[in-house]
Amino acid sequence: MRVSQGTERPNKEEGGLRLSMSQSIVLFQHATFGFPGVIALKDISLEIARGEFVGVIGPNGSGKTTLCKAMLGLMPPLEGTLRIFDCSCEKLQCHHRAKIGYLPQKGVLDRNFPITVLETVMMGRFGVLGLFKRPHMRDRAIAEEALSHVGMLDHRHHALGHLSGGQQQRVFIARALAQQPQVLLLDEPTTGIDMVTQHSVLDLVKRLHHDLGLTVVLITHDINMIRAHVDRLVLLKTRLYAAGPPADVLKPDILREVYGKEVVITDNDLVIVEDYHHH
Amino acid sequence: MLELLSYDFMQRSLVAAALVGALCSVIGVFVVLRGLAFVGAGTAHAAFAGVALAYLVGLPPLPLAIVFGLVTVWVTGLMEEQGRMKLDVSIGILYTATMALAILFIGLMKTYNAEVYGYLFGSVLSVTTEELRIIATLSFLVLGTILAFSKELYFVAFDQEMAEASGVPARRIYYLLLTLVALTMVVSLKTVGAILVFAMVLIPASTAYQLTHSLRHMTFYAVGIGTASSVGGVLLSYVWDVPTGPAIVLLATVIFFVSVLLSPKRIRKVPC
Repeated sequence: MRVSQGTERPNKEEGGLRLSMSQSIVLFQHATFGFPGVIALKDISLEIARGEFVGVIGPNGSGKTTLCKAMLGLMPPLEGTLRIFDCSCEKLQCHHRAKIGYLPQKGVLDRNFPITVLETVMMGRFGVLGLFKRPHMRDRAIAEEALSHVGMLDHRHHALGHLSGGQQQRVFIARALAQQPQVLLLDEPTTGIDMVTQHSVLDLVKRLHHDLGLTVVLITHDINMIRAHVDRLVLLKTRLYAAGPPADVLKPDILREVYGKEVVITDNDLVIVEDYHHH
Repeated sequence: MLELLSYDFMQRSLVAAALVGALCSVIGVFVVLRGLAFVGAGTAHAAFAGVALAYLVGLPPLPLAIVFGLVTVWVTGLMEEQGRMKLDVSIGILYTATMALAILFIGLMKTYNAEVYGYLFGSVLSVTTEELRIIATLSFLVLGTILAFSKELYFVAFDQEMAEASGVPARRIYYLLLTLVALTMVVSLKTVGAILVFAMVLIPASTAYQLTHSLRHMTFYAVGIGTASSVGGVLLSYVWDVPTGPAIVLLATVIFFVSVLLSPKRIRKVPC
């Protein structure tokens, strides 16, 4: 177990093996995030190690997206420290950010926006290349390989806006892969797409984690969808309530406290939060 | 027609129109994609206020037009960034305020000054060699900058937050884009005027938007349409003896409506 400290409910394995910084990708130490007068995340201590598959869960407004923005170095802590790739968040450079492939929450895309699938994925190379360097054939080959990984190579000349929601998510994952990242950071990747596609997107992420050795941090509100895929779950509600293997985090008393609802865990490990999540 | 091209003033006008047409169209691609259309209009009027002030106090118009244009776009960008108000509201306030300033400066002039009105309505046929040199220099400066930062500008136009997260210095690129918009407006004031320059930024890029699903193709189409409209508008205005600025813009507008009718997006068969 990697070090993970729940602030209100310390994980039972706290104090276990502590990682050396060479293995650590992200290290929050008593970090608080938000804006003056508004605290989005408070006193977070969490370490994410190279090669992990971490799921971040919590109710709406619990600070999941804030955690994501913090990991991208877009939101420095108000208090405490955050180190990303062993670099202080405040000193994070563009080349550090390029090591994190990011899939933002699915927004509304104008179906007529003039951009092809390949042009979209090539954008993943822009941060890696840096200013004044133009993409070459090698970059195009990397973008096409990324499209191949997500099964969208045949669509490379198609208009992005004409693809289905699930296909667009695959293209955006390919754009993240084109950065040749060390970390894949996915913010609600299955929101707004149908159930079958949700599973195929998650299977894809799992395969990329396994085949490419990527560290994956996946933010979701869907506990049951994610639990079978991750090494570790992080449960947020402004504070870090618990972190550890799914079986340790998904306990009725913890979930009841975080969601403020009655929680039932069925014989086949389905988590049902009353009035919040239905299956 | 060939005789027409032998006149010096016509040669200068056509070169100026082609430069401005190409410049406005390229910057227009980013303006349209990033949703900065209103910023273009506001900046053009702010630059005109700078021109009016320059004539009032007896200074060269170009530097003051640049200062007014840049201050307006940068203040707009800052106001949007700090989330104090929506972009259209902040630019709307600055737009009307700078236009009021321009009217005030013109009102304070003791005599009627036709040159000032030339900047409002455009007077490409009266472009001097010196003015053409300035237009060419600024045009190549802006186009060269766009070429150097094209990949970053495309990314910011598509998704600024994603660009920042991917390691592109998106905030700086956004301000660079605003700066280029302001410079384009200033360059184009003399040719098509403060009122119509906005149309030259918007219409060719919007026309190209109708015709393709590729960013790269959109840029090429926009440049072609913008240059053709500008040059064609100058020739038509001379042949039919009508004002040049409106001739350019109305020709671009006709091409736009034809492209809407023929748009592959409209008939849902979209080549890339």
